[in-house]
Amino acid sequence: MTGRTVHLGLSALALAGLAFAFSRLVGAHVEPTALGQLAAGYIRLSPEELSVPNVVTGILLAYRSFDTLGEVAVLYMVAASLGPLLQPMDNPVASETPRLSENAGEIIHSGHFALLPLIGVFGAYVILFGHLSAGGGFQGGAIIATGIEFYMIARVASAINVKAFSALESGVGVLFVAVGVFGLVFAGGFLDPRFLPAGELGHFVSGGAIPLVSLLLGIKVAAELSVVLERFRG
Amino acid sequence: MIELVASFLMFIGSVFVFSAALGLLRMPDPISRLQTGTKATTLGAGLILSGLAVLHPERAVQYVLIIAFVFISNPISSHALARAGLKTGRTEGDVPEGERPEERAQ
Repeated sequence: MTGRTVHLGLSALALAGLAFAFSRLVGAHVEPTALGQLAAGYIRLSPEELSVPNVVTGILLAYRSFDTLGEVAVLYMVAASLGPLLQPMDNPVASETPRLSENAGEIIHSGHFALLPLIGVFGAYVILFGHLSAGGGFQGGAIIATGIEFYMIARVASAINVKAFSALESGVGVLFVAVGVFGLVFAGGFLDPRFLPAGELGHFVSGGAIPLVSLLLGIKVAAELSVVLERFRG
Repeated sequence: MIELVASFLMFIGSVFVFSAALGLLRMPDPISRLQTGTKATTLGAGLILSGLAVLHPERAVQYVLIIAFVFISNPISSHALARAGLKTGRTEGDVPEGERPEERAQ
């Protein structure tokens, strides 16, 4: 009983401390009435300069493309380091976990025929229309990877070819950097998408190299996440 | 009138989703938690999306597609979870003695 009282008291103290810290933050906050200079610049330039109506994609794949390259590199390192990290050591707990049977069951097996095409189409849509509406390579790649995970669950005996997926994502990564170098040579700088014609605002083929970069990112993220999921499957 | 019907549908839907959240917190074992989480959210999401479809009839087809997707995917995913739990023998409740709702009421 006393342990519980002490616990409650400490929790109340922590909450009071948090309330104090955040009340000062909230008190100092002034609602901005106009966009900052940088934000206003992005919102003006993204449709004008890149002919991309989705400003977020314009920032992620043009103005801050180098950051995106870094994020992809982080994801690559995660996928690469999970292999050695999840290597089964002489761990008695792991070997005691019973393996699931080779059959996923009728409901899941039938369900994956109905759902996989839907997931695939949605993922492809999110990747390909990233420059026009909400979405992009990262998000679409993650959706495709959920489809691949569903495939792994529905077909327990199936083996994902980790080497092929790794080769695919490495190749796509090289292409991504190649697109960046093209931007350096033919346009304003590294990863500048304007070396391809800008096209008309709002059209499917528009925005220079942004749809291409988005597609490469989607393939790369999907392959990387699939490798991560396959590693966890063990 | 249309707004009233839509609001009513969405309100009932959110009651179902709320009951699902409550069930997740209060149910004693994984299988019970799964069934509250699945049934109530399937119906709740269906009702909320139907309310939205009544409110925006021009996008009704999209909402019906989303409802169909939720109605297929939600039971399948819960079934997969429950089946994996059953096969690995992890269906025991993890609420400690004395903390269960029926014991707390006494």
